[in-house]
Amino acid sequence: MTATESKSKRGKVLGILALLFVIAGLYSALIQAPPDANQGDVQRIMYIHIPSILTAYLSFFIVFVGSCLYLWKREKRDDILAKSAAEIGVLFTALTIVEGSIWGKPTWGVWWTWDARLTLTAILLMIFVGYLMLRSLIEDEDRAAVSGAIVGIIGFLDIPLIHMSVYWWRTLHQPPSILRPDKAPWENIHPAMLIALTINFAAFLLLYFYLLSLRIRVGETEERIKRTVLEGAA
Amino acid sequence: MGSWGFVLLAYGIVWCTILLYFLMLKSRMRKAGARLAQLDSKKSTVRNAH
Repeated sequence: MTATESKSKRGKVLGILALLFVIAGLYSALIQAPPDANQGDVQRIMYIHIPSILTAYLSFFIVFVGSCLYLWKREKRDDILAKSAAEIGVLFTALTIVEGSIWGKPTWGVWWTWDARLTLTAILLMIFVGYLMLRSLIEDEDRAAVSGAIVGIIGFLDIPLIHMSVYWWRTLHQPPSILRPDKAPWENIHPAMLIALTINFAAFLLLYFYLLSLRIRVGETEERIKRTVLEGAA
Repeated sequence: MGSWGFVLLAYGIVWCTILLYFLMLKSRMRKAGARLAQLDSKKSTVRNAH
């Protein structure tokens, strides 16, 4: 079995596992979990909202690591990793904002407000949309990779600000439900809700790694095409 | 819109968007794979001619 075939087989296993968890996640979030005592059924959006933003954070952390490695070693695979993770991170951040907006309307009465956490999340999205645009606008591949790596590292620094914004400023957004420094997750949320959230988080993580592996394979194949064309021209 | 309307709207947008992105990646992968195979066969034809 070649390395490509092995990667493809691993990807398929990951994809099937992700699909099973997505189905289990939908069942636990929409059927099994109880409605919230205050918000009712609309709180069920939480089961996709929190996993979406945590997946986006993870994705931008991978951009950060890939960018640092690229600036240090100048290896193309690190750049492909960073670029792939940035694209998927943008997708999950945009979805987080949309979900939050849909959740905000029935609970806050508005689709959007210039709250510190919401604004910083929108800035994070803009930074990484800018990252992708910058990379597509610079023709020289090495320059695009270096510029992207610098933006990727700076962009990642917005994430601690987003997380701490609910403590540092008076915001409409509630404080974290899970990642709180003073309480364990099970002390803060009903066990049935925590189970549903955990299953959905696992589903998002598996799906994320599946999409990332697929996106990296696309990047590697496109890189091989460029190399083959250049060899042919030489 | 009732509570379930908002819930279904959010879940619908999320899963449809992820599905579309997945299909887009699959299509990109297929096109890139076909292009690479075409280039490789062209390269081996040129090498055999020499």
